[in-house]
Amino acid sequence: MKKIVLLPLLTLFVVGTAQAVDKPVLTVYTYDSFVSEWGSGPKLEAAFEKTCNCDLKFIAVEDGVSILNRLKVEGEKTKADVILGIDDGLMEEARATQLIAEHTQSVDKLSASLKWTDQDFLPYDYGYFSFIYDSSKISKPAASLKELVESDAKVIYQDPRTSTPGQGLMFWMKSVYGDQAEAAWQQLAKHTVTVTKGWWEAYSMFLEGGSDYVLSYNTSPAYHVISDKKDQYKAASFSEGHVAQVELAALLKSSIKPELGKQFLSFLVSPEAQAIIPVTNWMLPVIDGVELPPAFSQLIQPQRIGFTPNEIAAKRADWIKEWRSAAAK
Amino acid sequence: MAQRSGQIIGYLALSSLLLITAWAFYGLSSVGEGGLSWAVFTDPYIHRILAFSLQQAALSATGSVLLALPVARAVYYLPKLWGKHAFLALCLLCFVLPSLILITGLVALLGGAGYLSPYLGESWNLYGLQGILLAHLFLNLPFAIRAFYLQLQAIPASSWLLARQLKLSSWQSVAWLEWPQLRGRLFTVWIFVFVLCFNSFAVVLSLGGGPQSTTLEVAIYQALKYDFNIPEALSLAWLQLLIAGSLFLLMTRFSTSSWLSADTAGAQFLPSPNTKSRILHGLVYLLAWFMFLLPLAALIPSLLQINLERLAQLQILQPLLTSLVLGVIAAVLSVLFALLLLSPIRLARLAGKAKQQWLLDVLANHSLIIPAMVVSVGLYVWLLTHLDVDQWGMIFVILINTLILVPFAIQQLKPRLFQFDDQYQRLAQQLKLNSLAYWQVLLPWLNRDLQAAFVLTLLLAMGDVAVFSIFASDEWVSLPWLIYSYAGSYRIVEASVLSFLFLLICGFLVFWLEQIKKT
Repeated sequence: MKKIVLLPLLTLFVVGTAQAVDKPVLTVYTYDSFVSEWGSGPKLEAAFEKTCNCDLKFIAVEDGVSILNRLKVEGEKTKADVILGIDDGLMEEARATQLIAEHTQSVDKLSASLKWTDQDFLPYDYGYFSFIYDSSKISKPAASLKELVESDAKVIYQDPRTSTPGQGLMFWMKSVYGDQAEAAWQQLAKHTVTVTKGWWEAYSMFLEGGSDYVLSYNTSPAYHVISDKKDQYKAASFSEGHVAQVELAALLKSSIKPELGKQFLSFLVSPEAQAIIPVTNWMLPVIDGVELPPAFSQLIQPQRIGFTPNEIAAKRADWIKEWRSAAAK
Repeated sequence: MAQRSGQIIGYLALSSLLLITAWAFYGLSSVGEGGLSWAVFTDPYIHRILAFSLQQAALSATGSVLLALPVARAVYYLPKLWGKHAFLALCLLCFVLPSLILITGLVALLGGAGYLSPYLGESWNLYGLQGILLAHLFLNLPFAIRAFYLQLQAIPASSWLLARQLKLSSWQSVAWLEWPQLRGRLFTVWIFVFVLCFNSFAVVLSLGGGPQSTTLEVAIYQALKYDFNIPEALSLAWLQLLIAGSLFLLMTRFSTSSWLSADTAGAQFLPSPNTKSRILHGLVYLLAWFMFLLPLAALIPSLLQINLERLAQLQILQPLLTSLVLGVIAAVLSVLFALLLLSPIRLARLAGKAKQQWLLDVLANHSLIIPAMVVSVGLYVWLLTHLDVDQWGMIFVILINTLILVPFAIQQLKPRLFQFDDQYQRLAQQLKLNSLAYWQVLLPWLNRDLQAAFVLTLLLAMGDVAVFSIFASDEWVSLPWLIYSYAGSYRIVEASVLSFLFLLICGFLVFWLEQIKKT
């Protein structure tokens, strides 16, 4: 969910207001950077509206966890037909709301390496959480999560209560530190500049020189090479392995346009959409055979660690409590 | 006749105000499955944020009081100071300034890429206790300065003449003249600033920088919006009510500060300080000017960096209109309510029913005791389960802001209305004025006070972030909320331009307020 967005939030409101009256409207809840001018949203919208004879309307919140929170708040009264932007870490909790309908797509289309079988949630991209640094300022980056935590480098990360990367870091810390995570959080808190609500806030602050490291994705450097023509931003490769994030879309039971919603889900994993997403949302495609720019071949290829969605669903609330207590000290 | 109908409408207004609060408490107490979460009260995290809330409020209040004293003394002892009126107006502006403007200025000045940050050393970090304290000092120090200055002015000239005859040393003057005058006020101001900072929201949300610097107010918001943990939000809201309410009651045991009164310095006798202390006072005064202007001036360089095309993209109009409409409606409503609520209070006073007057007064001002966040959470939780938040949110924002602002409007109108009663009540009764004629006489008399009450409540309503944050949806956005989203994502240029625009509006309103107060 690479959301390099340097455009004001307000563009989002414009996206929302210009809509045709007669066509059916498909409402999709997503996160802010997805619908920014340079994000995937506008391009996917244009491509999908060419064939659907509908009006695709994105409504954006700060980050992935906020999508789920909003859904819980609204329950069956929600305006959304589809949600786009929660991840595998939130999957079971989202399923527990009993608001999610089956996606009815064939999972055979997806890359075999994902080993995806779930019938409710459909992946549309994935990536590995990574800390990004500016190699023109840091010549010897941290080589492991432990090294980073024990260093005094300035770090910005996102709040695990609102943001999927923040939550990813929580899983990462638990995987590496286990029962010692509390002490590790306290140590990290000593050199944390700030904990932001969403990915976008953190990344903008980092680019403005606010920190040495920012929590993002292994795919972030590709954005800088391709869109920015800058090659100094790198992802630090950690020896313990990295937690992956599979970003998911799902249809809601309350939708009165399930067919249109399914058509959109099918479009999301089509070769056309899968070619758009990596160079706009800056994540990796979930189907094989997508041709990627050369910058993608230079990305770090981390070893995957972490927990299953069921383990996460059972422990997430406790881990958040542990984090907030430890980080508050 | 006029009085009778006024009394009935007054009681109706009071009941509707109390109804809103009761409604909020119904929301707070009624939410189904979870109910209150008792675990909250034993959670070490909650203990920690409670301790932090108290700590930052105590530090902010102590800092404001200690730093205000020398500045207030400087302004008092140098009556012919250059720009004194402007300085006092600036103090007023700083105090009513929407906090997001200041936050943007501080981030532009001291944030990661701030103008001053390179000189502050490697370990400088705006986010956390230091940022919160800086912002709270900036917002509350000016209030303390005004309060102390007005207090010092109340030292009668005869006391100074006596002091000169007795040849008191400057230390003796401080001990026998200044100290007795200020002593009572010190604690009042301290606790007032303490309560404000304890309930501070936007500053902590923007500059807190994570769980280690979270306050109870922000934790309520986070429980609701981050975790969607309604039982926890409700428990924290009750905790907040308990603490803020007791603090407020403690505060009302002491008199309220007159900080908004006009500068009444006439041809008053003052001892002329010697050259050394004159220079010292002058330096303190200059330093205060510098400190108050710096974060505001930090907004200006961004104005030069933005081009017209980008400015057009910012879509300022909609949030600006939202804030203005929201502010004007809430301000008009709160002034209207204050006027109506005061009817029965005035009648009770005229009839000499002191107890009844006191009770009505307490009821009319009850929203001062209840933090905005508590009322908002209660109504939000009710709204969630009954109506469409997107559709009704705006109405609730206006309603809650009105409720909160009524006491401020009352404070502005009450003295003048009492004065009216004392001077003209008998005459009005003898003339047997009907309702229409009565108001036709009263309203022109009140004109300036109504304006002042309107401007003050408008300023406060436009700066609201706490209530708005609870009901905010992406369908509509207020100017402070837009500034928050820019400042939060470090888009300082955009945030600064919007803040500057907002500052101009507030500056104009403060100027208007000062003009009203002066004439």
